[in-house]
Amino acid sequence: MTERAGYLPGLTDDEVDWQILRFGGADAPLEVAVPVLTDAQMQAMAERVRVASRDHLKTLTISQIIDIIDRAVARLLDRKDPYRRKAEEILPIVTGYDAEMIRLGLTGYLKTFRKPELQKFTVEDFANPLILDDFQPMPKGGFARAFGPDILTHIWAGNVPGIPVWSLVSGLLVKAGNIGKVPSAEPLFAGWFAQVLSEVAPEIADCFAVVWWKGGDTAREEALLKESDVVLAYGGNGSLSAIRDRVPVTTRYLAYGHKVSFGAISRAALDTQKAADTAHQAAYDVVRYDQQGCYSPHVFFVERNGRISPQDFAQYLAHELETFEKKYPRRALSIGEARDMATWRHGEEIKSFASKNRGLIGNADSAWSVAFVDDTEDLSPSGLNRTIKIVAVDALADIVPRIAPYKALLQTVGIAAPPAELYALSTALGIAGVTRISAIGHMTAPEAGWHHDGRFNLLDLVSITEIERSAEAAADTLAPYAD
Amino acid sequence: MTQDHIIEMLLAFIAADDDQPDTKARASEDAFNEVALQLFAYQFENNKPFRQFSVQRGRTPRTARSWRDIPAVPINAFKELTLSCCPPEDAARVFMTSGTTLGGVRGKSYHPTLSVYDASMTRGFKQYFMPDRDRIDMGILFPTETIMPNSSLAHYLALALAHFGTSDSGYMMQDDGIAYNRLFATLDQAQMSGTPYAMLGASYSFVPLLDEMKRRGLSFALPEGSRMFDTGGFKGQSRELGLDEFYDQLAAGFGVPREKCINMYGMTELSTQFYDRGNAICPSVKSGPHWIRSRVINPLTGEDVPFGETGVLVHCDLAHFNIVSTILTEDAGVETEDGFRLLGRADGAEAKGCSMAVEEFLKAAQA
Repeated sequence: MTERAGYLPGLTDDEVDWQILRFGGADAPLEVAVPVLTDAQMQAMAERVRVASRDHLKTLTISQIIDIIDRAVARLLDRKDPYRRKAEEILPIVTGYDAEMIRLGLTGYLKTFRKPELQKFTVEDFANPLILDDFQPMPKGGFARAFGPDILTHIWAGNVPGIPVWSLVSGLLVKAGNIGKVPSAEPLFAGWFAQVLSEVAPEIADCFAVVWWKGGDTAREEALLKESDVVLAYGGNGSLSAIRDRVPVTTRYLAYGHKVSFGAISRAALDTQKAADTAHQAAYDVVRYDQQGCYSPHVFFVERNGRISPQDFAQYLAHELETFEKKYPRRALSIGEARDMATWRHGEEIKSFASKNRGLIGNADSAWSVAFVDDTEDLSPSGLNRTIKIVAVDALADIVPRIAPYKALLQTVGIAAPPAELYALSTALGIAGVTRISAIGHMTAPEAGWHHDGRFNLLDLVSITEIERSAEAAADTLAPYAD
Repeated sequence: MTQDHIIEMLLAFIAADDDQPDTKARASEDAFNEVALQLFAYQFENNKPFRQFSVQRGRTPRTARSWRDIPAVPINAFKELTLSCCPPEDAARVFMTSGTTLGGVRGKSYHPTLSVYDASMTRGFKQYFMPDRDRIDMGILFPTETIMPNSSLAHYLALALAHFGTSDSGYMMQDDGIAYNRLFATLDQAQMSGTPYAMLGASYSFVPLLDEMKRRGLSFALPEGSRMFDTGGFKGQSRELGLDEFYDQLAAGFGVPREKCINMYGMTELSTQFYDRGNAICPSVKSGPHWIRSRVINPLTGEDVPFGETGVLVHCDLAHFNIVSTILTEDAGVETEDGFRLLGRADGAEAKGCSMAVEEFLKAAQA
């Protein structure tokens, strides 16, 4: 089976060179043909997208654009739609994630892009979304209008399905011409989304493109970067800083790096009734996408002196992980991933020899591991792929010094605590660098309009043009009706 | 068994005649097993953290039937645990890892005597690097043992110089790095006299050297019989070169064909080294002398992967007697008919998504 990736307005398949990426095992081999554009093709396409976004996208109102996205998302939510079927069939092969987990994940995720959600998303960043359509009066006086970039370049990374959609939708909402570069780990979904958009709204079919180049192909990358007004990039700090070095200084560069997330569980959530449910929710956060997301937990800090001790909670969690393994088995690991997981597990095992306050649950055959630490322990990343650490604390406030050194790396904290504790802790966590707080069990499903890594996702993309009061007043003196 | 008995047994085993020097035909499995299991019993008895580890893994000398049953200690354990059969303060020498990862904690290997290490090194080196001659003019691109007393490589190279170097051999280093003028004069001399020359150093030492030669527009055509020795990879010490690129540049820069460029694969956590038969094809096949054996395993289950598939390397080195003999590395490899193909640290360190992996976290947290 061969599937073509990308979305290339103005180019036919024959005009483009294709490279083959291989996925799947012997039982379900899959070839994905990814496009390799020449510099001239890349340049011509950028020009096409630039012109089309000016002529078409930028003439639509924000509510028309929201309607278009809503129609595209409705199709992808429809399990009978051919693209949806393709996604359900092929994404598990490409990413290795369990098919049922992908199906549920896609629905849960795409739901956050329906019309009402998009409207919320827009007002999160623009108190008056009409500022995207026309000059609007400002509280300070004068008028202002927000303009999206002609070319917004997205450099996506990773294999968590659907992530590019979020970035592409942001670009569309600000009426940008979009060119997205898909990662080799999951090169397909963004192209399908673009295809569906072009089918529901042919008038904007040339306003976006989905391309590919091999990681490290700096020539190809530079060809696009120099055409861009704004560059959005995702990835590890190494690749982000390499991209930054190539972005022209006059181009806005927005980088989203890898992050670490964790959970905090108050003793209030640890009575005999609630503890099992808390553990179930916590396990769900670990299992979803096998901890590959920036919002995935690596550690759960658990309060002592509840009805259920942190150590028992570790057992509950282990039990839930074992149960989930039957429902959503972990994907097959590469040897490098297995090595990393083994290194983490062996490390925890060896530390447990030296201390009776440490332990490791799960044997070599388990698809998961739970480490337990009843001692002072800093936040640290897990071995990924369902490895999680429980760290006991006297009070949730004790977490703050344990995460302080890692301010720039923090993202989500899942919290199970009563309201007073939630708000008090959230303040301390915000100061420490945390940007998102969710319920346990919701860590991997950010709500529509969330501020990714604490940023204004739409506002960061636009430029504001202001008509100051003086211009207004001066214009008045020149009006034909002036006295 | 006492330490003295162990040492005596090992020295005899290393010195034993081994008709066919190549990996496949090393000392018979039985002879190897016998020594390995005695060593396991010795380490189990005298090395408490190792005993705990073995018990935890459900492997004890009573149940082990072959060297393959001895639990492999992950190399990270050398950072967390004091693994030594003799009291650590009795060690004649402590070799330490470079400590570039895991927050600068360095793994330690305690040696109550270097007699076994030295016997292992000299016999292996002879077999793989000097099969055709006893001594050679040698230039070493690495600091001396005096400067780096905890570096096993510094000791290794000092042994190479003492046992296999001619009187015209020496270190080609000065305070600020490689002594380029002296080295280039020596290479000129070798080229003119037609005397074979050997250059030995860390892989990363050769990178600035090649750069300097390029800057000066120099290249050499060393006489036939000359050879190159590199080890250790680039480890962020120099710019990273692909293996083919590296050996092409060595061959072009010194006139030594790639099949005479030998790469040694060793670790602080071992007392025996692996070598290839030159690097005409990369990655090369590595093998070791008859007192070391390797397995390729799935690191999670500890089971051997099917022949020809990629896994993680486990080495059982009888010469590493005081610490633990069987270690689980972080290196990926594939078993071949006559050894293994070393694939280096398997990638996967970076998560597939936007989650942060340990290595990146440590780097970012240190920055």
